[in-house]
Amino acid sequence: MPVTNQALPGGYALLNYRIDRQISRGGFSIVYRAFDETGQPVAIKEYLPSSLVLRTEGDIVRASSAENLTSFRYGMKCFFEEGRALAKINHPNVVRVLNFFRANETVYMVMRYERGRTLQQQIQMRQDQMSERFVRQVFMQLLNGLRDVHTHKILHLDIKPANIYLRTDGSPVLLDFGAARQTLTTNRPKLAPMYTPGFAAPEQYRDHDRLGPWTDVYGTGASMFACLAAFAPQAADARVQEDHLVSAKKIWSGQYSDNLLEVIDWCLRLDPLERPQSVFALQRAIRDIAPIKRKLTFFANLKRLLFSEIGV
Amino acid sequence: MRFTIFQESRKGAREVNQDRIAYTYSRETLLLVIADGMGGHVGGEIAAQIAVRLFIERFHQEAKPILRNPLKFMQETMLRAHAALGSYANQFSMLETPRTTCVAVVVQGGHAYWAHVGDSRFYLLRQGRLIASTKDHSKVQYLVDQGLIKPEEVLMHPDRNKIFSCLGGMADPVIDLSRRMPLKDGDLLILCTDGLWSVYPHGEMATMLTSTPILATAPQIMREAEKRGGDEGDNVSAIIVRWGPETLADEPTTTENLALGQFETQVDATVTLAERAGGQRDLTDDEIERAIAEIQSTIQKYRK
Repeated sequence: MPVTNQALPGGYALLNYRIDRQISRGGFSIVYRAFDETGQPVAIKEYLPSSLVLRTEGDIVRASSAENLTSFRYGMKCFFEEGRALAKINHPNVVRVLNFFRANETVYMVMRYERGRTLQQQIQMRQDQMSERFVRQVFMQLLNGLRDVHTHKILHLDIKPANIYLRTDGSPVLLDFGAARQTLTTNRPKLAPMYTPGFAAPEQYRDHDRLGPWTDVYGTGASMFACLAAFAPQAADARVQEDHLVSAKKIWSGQYSDNLLEVIDWCLRLDPLERPQSVFALQRAIRDIAPIKRKLTFFANLKRLLFSEIGV
Repeated sequence: MRFTIFQESRKGAREVNQDRIAYTYSRETLLLVIADGMGGHVGGEIAAQIAVRLFIERFHQEAKPILRNPLKFMQETMLRAHAALGSYANQFSMLETPRTTCVAVVVQGGHAYWAHVGDSRFYLLRQGRLIASTKDHSKVQYLVDQGLIKPEEVLMHPDRNKIFSCLGGMADPVIDLSRRMPLKDGDLLILCTDGLWSVYPHGEMATMLTSTPILATAPQIMREAEKRGGDEGDNVSAIIVRWGPETLADEPTTTENLALGQFETQVDATVTLAERAGGQRDLTDDEIERAIAEIQSTIQKYRK
C-alpha cells in the first residue's frame, strides 16, 4: 500500500513563516502557500522525495530506510542546484527565490508567491483556439526571462506549459528549475535525467554533450505548439525513430500567421544545429512576424521599418 | 602497465581539506593529479575540485587509449581549469577568486611527463636518489635561486607560502612542463602538497619507501606528517607510485585486463558542493550548511 507523506498542517510555524495550505505536490517536493512575518504571501517548496522519505505524522522528515538516507541526502544536491540557479536571477519573468533554509531534517526554498494559473491549466480550460496575439505576448515576455537565465549560463531543460505560470495580469513567470543544470566548468553539462516527453529535445534523451540554449528553444517551440494544439507534440525520442510530427505550418495554415508557424517548426527541428541557436535569435524571428492583414499607414510602416533596422 | 599505487589526503589541523587528489588510467596511460586550493570559505575546495575533475574528464575524452601529446594535454587542461575558475568566480561574484596549485603526471609508453603550477611537487626517485623534481613557483624558491637565502632557510621563511603562479586569479598561470623521462622498474613517483614536503624531506621519504612495500610504508608517512604538522598543520596529500612489477610485498595493479576505452579512476573521498551527478555520495551536515550559506549570500547579492 503506498503511503503518502503528510503535508505540514495549516497554521504550522516554519522558521518565521506560517504555513497556510498546500498548493501542489510532486514526486520530489510539496509546495505550500505561507505568510511571512509581515503577512506577505510566499510559496515554500519543501524537499520531500516521496520514494525515499516518510512523514506519517509531525514535522520531522525521516528516511524510510538507511540506504534511502544516502539517496535522500544525495537528491538534496539537485534541490541545492535549483536554489543556486535561481538565486542569481532577478527577472520579472523568472520565479524569484527569497530565502533558502534548513529545518525538520530537510531543506526549504521560499519563493515569491504569484497569483494566477499555469499555461497548462490555461490550455486545458480553453474551449476555443488561443489567439496569436496571446501566444506571442506570453512567449515574447517569457523569452526575455529565459534569455536572462541563459546569460547566467544556466539551462532550464524542462520548459513546458506546466512550468509557465501566468499571473492574473497575463504576464508569464518561468517556474521550476528542478532540472536546471549549469553548463559551467565541464565542456559537458551535468547529466540531466529529468525530462518531459513531448517537450524535451532529442539531445536530452541521449546526447547530453549537445545540450545548449537550443535545447530550451525546443521546449519553447513545443510549448507554443501545445498552445495551438492543446496537446504536446510527438515525443522527440519517438520522432528520432519515426517522425510523425505534422508541421505547424501544415496544420494551422491560415489560422495563424505563416511566420509564427514557421518559427514553431524551426524550434522543433530534431537537429539542434538547425534550430535557432539562441533565445535572442528566436526573439528576433518572432519579432519579425508581421501582424496579419493589418493595413499600416505610410508612417506606421516607416516607423516599423526603422525600428526593425535598429533592432528595438 | 604494472605499478603499485597509493593515495591519501589528510586534513591535518585544518577545518577543511582544500587538497584534491585523483588518479585514473586506461590500459596504456596513467594520470596522477593533485591540487591544493586556496581562497576563503569554500573557494579553495572548489578550485582544487574543478582542476582535478577537469583533468579526469578530459583524460577520459582524450586517452583513447593513449594521449596524443601528454604535455600538451596537461598544459591545455591547466589553462582550461584556469579559465573555468575565472568564469566561476565571475558567475558567483566571488570576492576572492578560487585558486589552486596543480601538479599532474602522465605515464605512457614507459615514459613519465609532468606539469605543475605553484608549490605542489613531483619527485622522481630512483634507487633512493632524486633524479628529477618540479621547482616551486614560490617566492622563497626565487630567493634561493637568486642566492638571497639558503635552501635550509626556506621552511622558516615568513613568505614560504607565497606562490606566484596558480590556476585561477588575475594573472595567467606559469605552467612548467617536463621533458620526456624514461622510467625504470622500481622508480618511485611522488606527488605531494606542501603539507607533506614541508615536514618530510624527500631524502627521508626515499629512504623509507625504497626498500619497503609502499602500501605499508606510505600510510605511516602520512600519519607521521600529520603529527609533525602539529596544531597548525596543513592538509597533507600524496600520491605515490612504484613503477613496474612489485618485487616487494605489495600487490601491483596491472592494466592488462582493461578493455580498450575502459578506465579505472580513484578520486579522493573528500567532496564537495559541485560534484557531478553520477558518483552517489551523500552530503555531510557541514556541506549542507555551506550550500545553504552560499545560496543565501547569492540571494542577498542579487536582491535589488
